[in-house]
Amino acid sequence: MKNRSSQALRVTGALFAAGLALAFTGCSTNVNTYERAESQAAPNYVADKRVITDNTLAGTFRVTAINQATVSGNLLKVQATVENLKNKLRTLNYKFEWVDVNGMAVDSPNETWKAIQLQGRETQTISTVAVSPKAVDFRLKFRE
Amino acid sequence: MKSNLTSRLTGVLALGAMLALTGCETVPETRTVDAKGPEAVNTAAINSQDWANAADQLVASLLSSSALENAPRTPAVLAVDRVINNTQLMVDTDLLIKKIRVALTQTGKIAITNTMGLGERAVVASEAAELEEMQTGKKQKLLVPDYTLYAKLIQQQDTGKKVTQNTYSFQMSLVQTKTGLTVWEEEKSIAKQTKRAGAVGW
Repeated sequence: MKNRSSQALRVTGALFAAGLALAFTGCSTNVNTYERAESQAAPNYVADKRVITDNTLAGTFRVTAINQATVSGNLLKVQATVENLKNKLRTLNYKFEWVDVNGMAVDSPNETWKAIQLQGRETQTISTVAVSPKAVDFRLKFRE
Repeated sequence: MKSNLTSRLTGVLALGAMLALTGCETVPETRTVDAKGPEAVNTAAINSQDWANAADQLVASLLSSSALENAPRTPAVLAVDRVINNTQLMVDTDLLIKKIRVALTQTGKIAITNTMGLGERAVVASEAAELEEMQTGKKQKLLVPDYTLYAKLIQQQDTGKKVTQNTYSFQMSLVQTKTGLTVWEEEKSIAKQTKRAGAVGW
């Protein structure tokens, strides 16, 4: 009798676990990505310094690479590749700020918080162009 | 003994209720927020953050293209052409155009003429030029624009059972006046979904 009740409990537990797993799978919208095995691009990667004050945010979004280029002759363009480390859709707010050769902030009309949505495990690029040729450095800020 | 306990309990409850009610009191409060940040009030319309984002994306696209690298002079002269608002919103299109003008001027690659075009007109500057002509007898030499900027705002509304989606498209074209050719074009869209009142879940 005791053996039968423990078996019933085990079956119920297994069904509950399966249901839970199905429910979670239903919510996730992970992204599969395919690309050329040997990339033809030769990005100019930037060595970055990171200041983390929100560990939860750092555990959700990861910057996998930052690269830069010069556009329109003398304007700095920066691109960051961001990965959603979670299995669910997440919204990231980000902002680029510019700094001139003297370390002074370059006030720019495009320094605004922008929001992007990344599906589960998705990688996206975010980029911006400095509107002032004085900009030589940048800061990229994240917030949830 | 029992009555003492009851009265003490009543007192604690009364105090708790008073504190709770005080906590619920809403005092009108105004705070300053970043108009271009996530704290900006989000509506089904185009909010301040949307204007800023649209302007930024359009400017980044224009500067990333090589359109301005082939300009006949630096800074190239730009006149703002028509900005058509085909949305249901009564908005001042300068919310978009001014941001683009500011950004392009900051690059040093573009100078925007204010005495020609359908955009913002500098009336006093035009009058001053006419006065100068009258006084000196010399015809003022107005710079012919190298480019014109044309923009259009479009709204598309899609209504589902529970959700209404407003998609705002920001279209912009840069036309080379000498050839009449469009040297750069871009379209950026912002889609906003609004759940209907009473609807449960997305």
